[in-house]
Amino acid sequence: MSTAELTATVVRLKLSLLRNGLRQSAGRRAAYLTSVVVVILVAALQLIGLIALRGSAHVTTIAVLLAEILALGWAVMPLFFPSGDETLDPTRLVMLPLRPQPLIRALLAASLVGIGPLFTLCLLAGSVLAVAHGAAAYATAVAAVVLALLVCVALARAVAAANVRLLTSRKGRDLAVLSGLVVAVGTQLVNFGAQRLGTAGLGRLDPVGDVLRWIPPASAIGAVDSVSKGSYGTGLAQLALSAAAVAGLGTLWSRSLTKLMTAPDASTLQAADPGPRERGSAGLSRLLPPGRTGTVMERSLRYVWRDPKTKAAWVTSLAIGLIVPVFNALQGTGSLYFACFAAGMLGIQMYNQFGQDTSAFWMVAMTISSPRDAYAELRGRALALLLITLPYATLVTVVTTALLDDWPKLPEVLGLSFALLGAMLATGAWSSARFPYSIPQEGYKNVAPGQAGLAWISILGGMVSAALLSSPVIAATIWLNVTAGGDRWSWLLLPAGAAYGALLLLLGLRLAAPRTARRLPEILAAVSKG
Amino acid sequence: MTEGAGAGATAVRVQGLWKRYGEQVAVAGIDLELPAGRFIGLVGPNGAGKTTTLSMVTGLLRPDQGTVEIAGHDVWHDPVAVKARIGVLPEGLRLFERLSGRELLAYTGRLRGLPGTEVDKRATQLLDVLDLAGAQHKLVVDYSTGMRKKIGMAAALLHNPEVLFLDEPFEGVDPVSAQTIRGVLERYTSSGATVVFSSHVMELVESLCDWVAVMAAGRIRAHGPLAEVRGGAPTLQQAFLELVGARARSAGTDLDWLGGGAR
Repeated sequence: MSTAELTATVVRLKLSLLRNGLRQSAGRRAAYLTSVVVVILVAALQLIGLIALRGSAHVTTIAVLLAEILALGWAVMPLFFPSGDETLDPTRLVMLPLRPQPLIRALLAASLVGIGPLFTLCLLAGSVLAVAHGAAAYATAVAAVVLALLVCVALARAVAAANVRLLTSRKGRDLAVLSGLVVAVGTQLVNFGAQRLGTAGLGRLDPVGDVLRWIPPASAIGAVDSVSKGSYGTGLAQLALSAAAVAGLGTLWSRSLTKLMTAPDASTLQAADPGPRERGSAGLSRLLPPGRTGTVMERSLRYVWRDPKTKAAWVTSLAIGLIVPVFNALQGTGSLYFACFAAGMLGIQMYNQFGQDTSAFWMVAMTISSPRDAYAELRGRALALLLITLPYATLVTVVTTALLDDWPKLPEVLGLSFALLGAMLATGAWSSARFPYSIPQEGYKNVAPGQAGLAWISILGGMVSAALLSSPVIAATIWLNVTAGGDRWSWLLLPAGAAYGALLLLLGLRLAAPRTARRLPEILAAVSKG
Repeated sequence: MTEGAGAGATAVRVQGLWKRYGEQVAVAGIDLELPAGRFIGLVGPNGAGKTTTLSMVTGLLRPDQGTVEIAGHDVWHDPVAVKARIGVLPEGLRLFERLSGRELLAYTGRLRGLPGTEVDKRATQLLDVLDLAGAQHKLVVDYSTGMRKKIGMAAALLHNPEVLFLDEPFEGVDPVSAQTIRGVLERYTSSGATVVFSSHVMELVESLCDWVAVMAAGRIRAHGPLAEVRGGAPTLQQAFLELVGARARSAGTDLDWLGGGAR
């Protein structure tokens, strides 16, 4: 087969994969169309924005920075969304009699089909339009856009091929589950950085821009700028840099592809026995209470660390529980009561306990034969949560207090936190028994299809009831704050809130236990859908 | 072994068991008495209702109708007595895969209420016998199919149950692991315990079991000692095909291009 024929075939393959993917479900079609519309809107907006910036002193810096961010996105993308692109995995083509060189050209062409390249194309076009002045610059711009796009795509391919073993292994899939988190935290950081820049001015970025305009793919944009300013030699050198990058990345990609197709898959080789290693957790189990409680706690804690879904949920809760009160305090807009956020966010982890087990819940169900067993099971899980939550909520409250320098209020906010935590754990235990739902282990969804309503009832209803349940403590806090001389007694809210929270938790567990024991087959059926 | 293991005793008694999923009837009224101390095979084609039946018998799925007794105790009314007496290896359900093999056994044994030192002793022996000692510190998620079946079986055997239910224990298992599992099961039944396992591989059932129940389309078609069910047929496979009414499809002229000669 000739290179042209092969390229056409691979591109057609990519198009059919796209089409068939859309044919699978209306939801997917809607999602795809929505993302196309969003991409076009965003692209149009930034096009307008960049053109509006035309002639501004910092426009080149922005355009260059944008190109580098795009490239970074392309490089990171395959690591976190390995399943996003069917043609991405060249190991599927191993059995076909193809040579690497033509295959690479074909795959590169196929990679240019899709939303990602379209988006990139729009952004790059906007960037060069903002920078270009004069006919020669526009001519350079055409070459620059093509080169920059090719650098992005080739970069993604080279990274993916170099890491394909990782991406198809369990560790890679675990990594992918955490990607949502990286995106969320990254957005926060970018947001924070943008706010800083907004106050400090764009001029601060100009030195960075001066360096970046020599690094592909931004060097292609830099070339347009250089040509606009009449420095044709510099522009040519910058374009050549981008072209060299495409060639270099292509070679790298080709090398790892060849290696991939000829070397045996390491995942089928017997791993060397690491030998008996006693983990530190043996010490942990000695510290935990004996019997079912300690056993359940140990398993729950291990899962927080080892199960990617559980870990992602925990890290999100821990991060948001800290970020909301502390960032608000840092910006001077905060109230100490925001510190209760930590308790609230972490309390959510008690919800859908059995869904977190997935269908492995049968192992638990086989050992629960009475409400007493169910009580021990739920108590173990609640205690495991408390082991992390109590110190963390306390820490967040103390840190927020220190930032706001409002020490007299510390006891009442702590008391409120503990009451809320108890209420969340109590309602969480109850709704775990009443509204269990599956958490799919693959992909990013946290609810199995058809169970979204259940999840909403469980979490939203639970949070509202938790708020209602802790209302006596909230009322007492308000009362002591508005009554003259109430401040003198506000410290009482700490022991009262803690005791009230503990009481709620005990009651919640007592109510949830018989329900759990009675509904074991129904719970198992509900959590086995993922 | 305690009660129910004597000669002629009944390990499992099923009466009028039904399960429907909407329009579809998965199990259509099963009555069955499984003798204690035997190696019992539940055979049938895919979709016959074997897994549904075993799930209902072990208390993992609530039947629409019918009763199940294990060693004289009702599964749904006396779960304390039943759950202590049975071991289960279900098909299609996960294990706690983010634990290592040894941690999984330690967890299961302690949940069963066994003392910690006893659990560790039994776990070590089971891991040795099942040839998993080398992988005991590996996470179960990284185990192969055969290793998963073996660790699942170890977890089911840990509390020394009277009756062991295994759903497709040999599915996807390599010959070496299969032989290991067989050895353990044979040793276990020879001491008077009962094994009930499902399979669609007749040769396997024929070579392992002394008592079989044949299932098709949610019903029991035949049950009894192996020789009785086999009757005049040369193999269980033949007897089974006759029972479920499947005829060998003629490969006549439809695929006449397949094989040697012209490509």
